[in-house]
Amino acid sequence: MNTPSPKTSIMPSNPAKLQIIWLQGITCNGNTHSFLNDPSLETILESVELLHHPLLPCTFTLRELVQKLPKSDVLVFEGAYKGDFERAGMAMEALLNALASKTKHIISMGSCASFGGIFKEASPELISGILFDKEHESGPLRVMREKVITLSGCPVHPKWLSFVIDMIHHGKFIAVDEYRRPKELYAYLVHNGCLRNEYFEWKVDSDTFGTKEGCLFYAQGCQGPMTHGSCNKILWNEVSSKTRSGAPCVGCTEPTFPKRELFSTKTYMSIPADMPLGIPKRSYLALAGAAKSFHIKRLEERLIDDNA
Amino acid sequence: MITHELIERIEGEAVLDFKTDTSGAVQDVTIRFLHFRGMEAILEGRNALDALVITPRVCGICGHSHLIATVTMIENIYRNAGATIRISDKANAIRQITLSCELIQNHIKWLYLVMLHESGKMVGEEPTVALKALYVSAQVNQLCALFSGQWPHSSYALPGGVTCDPTHIEVMQALKILSEVERFICDEVLGCDTDAFSESIIQNALLSLTGDLGTVLRNFERLGVLEQGKSHGRFLVLGETQEIIVDSERSEASLDNVGEDSSQTFAEGGNTYAKNALYNGEFFETGPLARALVQERTGISTLHRLYGDSAVTRITARVDEMVSLCAHVRELLTLLDLSEPSFIPPPSIESISGEGIGIVEAPRGSLIHRARIEKGKIISYSIITPTQWNLGNGTATTPGIAQKAMIGAESIAKASLIFRTFDVCSVCTTH
Repeated sequence: MNTPSPKTSIMPSNPAKLQIIWLQGITCNGNTHSFLNDPSLETILESVELLHHPLLPCTFTLRELVQKLPKSDVLVFEGAYKGDFERAGMAMEALLNALASKTKHIISMGSCASFGGIFKEASPELISGILFDKEHESGPLRVMREKVITLSGCPVHPKWLSFVIDMIHHGKFIAVDEYRRPKELYAYLVHNGCLRNEYFEWKVDSDTFGTKEGCLFYAQGCQGPMTHGSCNKILWNEVSSKTRSGAPCVGCTEPTFPKRELFSTKTYMSIPADMPLGIPKRSYLALAGAAKSFHIKRLEERLIDDNA
Repeated sequence: MITHELIERIEGEAVLDFKTDTSGAVQDVTIRFLHFRGMEAILEGRNALDALVITPRVCGICGHSHLIATVTMIENIYRNAGATIRISDKANAIRQITLSCELIQNHIKWLYLVMLHESGKMVGEEPTVALKALYVSAQVNQLCALFSGQWPHSSYALPGGVTCDPTHIEVMQALKILSEVERFICDEVLGCDTDAFSESIIQNALLSLTGDLGTVLRNFERLGVLEQGKSHGRFLVLGETQEIIVDSERSEASLDNVGEDSSQTFAEGGNTYAKNALYNGEFFETGPLARALVQERTGISTLHRLYGDSAVTRITARVDEMVSLCAHVRELLTLLDLSEPSFIPPPSIESISGEGIGIVEAPRGSLIHRARIEKGKIISYSIITPTQWNLGNGTATTPGIAQKAMIGAESIAKASLIFRTFDVCSVCTTH
């Protein structure tokens, strides 16, 4: 039978280009630059029309954007929110509200836009995310919460954004968590896929930085077991991640970012004060006690002797 | 006549207030930056090591330079406090590799997204989005991430070394990426090999280059601004070596002469958030041109003798730096001794009190971090960014570096293009 199936024939083969506005609040431009790292940028840009972007060629200059306040399919907002912060002479309170009410989807791009992030620290009472202020859903766009997709991270991995753009472009449903983060990206923990997982299982601590061996959770402050994000599934710059380069996860996708004392683990009676996500302390202690009672020679040796 | 011009498609935005005569020529200009984030205050009271996570977030395009400035500064505090801290040659080399990558990707983006695009628009030949340049800058960032774990916003350098412990697999991958980047620079940027490029500078034949640099320079020539944009001819390099150049005379620089002037800021009744950085009370240019002259790189020194600190010299210096940094990264990768330790644990930061300074040659020039810590806690933190040197505001009689380069331009559009040759970054300038 050569007749096409009904399913194929109703699939739109070439959906219309998504019109995107990329607006910045209080930012370092880190998400803008992170997105430019996507090796499929050319393919992504073929499916969109940039009405405004801070660096790439686009339809409207910032001044024109503020004058016209055009409709769009997607508003990407990067940076923290402060009502009286201005772009091209217009206060963010009015600008964000106008653009957000005329768009179909809003992407909260990065931890500043999502929760306030690092820049909130400068003025905690005035600066927040667009939907959340730390954990609280009290941001200026709370009345439009259903339109918001949260992409937390400092910065956001470029493929996390291109995934959401693709899903919107193809009209697919995006399942989200309590902070409206896509579950397909944030149901994982940074711990998942870490090359040091076996050391975590057998409670073998890394004595120091700069080696391939040992888990960074016990002394070096790694927040991988408590942090949502697919950093060790969708690798950074295609090749690595913080933990793969021996650096502790700093919990940058969570509303609590940035915590303090980021390179040491807070302990209580030499047990980490913060448990891996969802693990009751009693279960952890039972397992840790058992694991520590064994000495696994292979895990106590250097991985590659020649390189020691 | 006064015109307020919003400069976009830089890092952030700037406002230029132009005063023009009846012909439209620029008589005076003020540079204003309207966004301020208070990074230094965010750092105070934190553990000094937390600065390794916070300061890269000053800037999305040069955050790695901030990381290296912070780590160098903390190591300096250790030494000033009389504590022993050692860094292996391997860790030092890896830091230089990743820092160089940041400079290379920055220069590629500036050349294509800013210079080629803006000059093309002005001659009526607006290019399409420079995807090939973005692809190769992502490759450079991948090379960086083989060691730093990610770019942007890595925190892989710690007092005592680096967190990564690379194998030959990473080194081989890095060398392959580097070959691709070098090929891009020859085939696309220059249109010839690097020896022919050096020769074309000495033969005064840059305008015949077939690559995209040639197009940028020809656009500038068509607009009549190639030999414009001259400034004070005073240069400063404070990272690596500490030298100044005044009237082509080199001399040693002293950090005691570095100062900040906040007279133009909102806090003092002015109209910008940016503080001026000054040496001995005067404006100095920092960045790729200053570095090329201090290193006495033949091509750029020749250009400087012929054309002074005009647009042709400033643009070519930044491109020439990519060529020279690629060679540097190749050498470092080739000589890397993987058997050395990546990290030598120093005494605990909580045992350290004192002051220190860290200086790095960032994409736009000398970046200075200073702090005082008490038992590992930050008491005060101060950052001077390269753009504070280049984009400061003086008076009509003693203008800043970019101000002077713009004064006298035939039109606001041409002055704005000259402004962009300085690789403007508003997020760093006001941090």
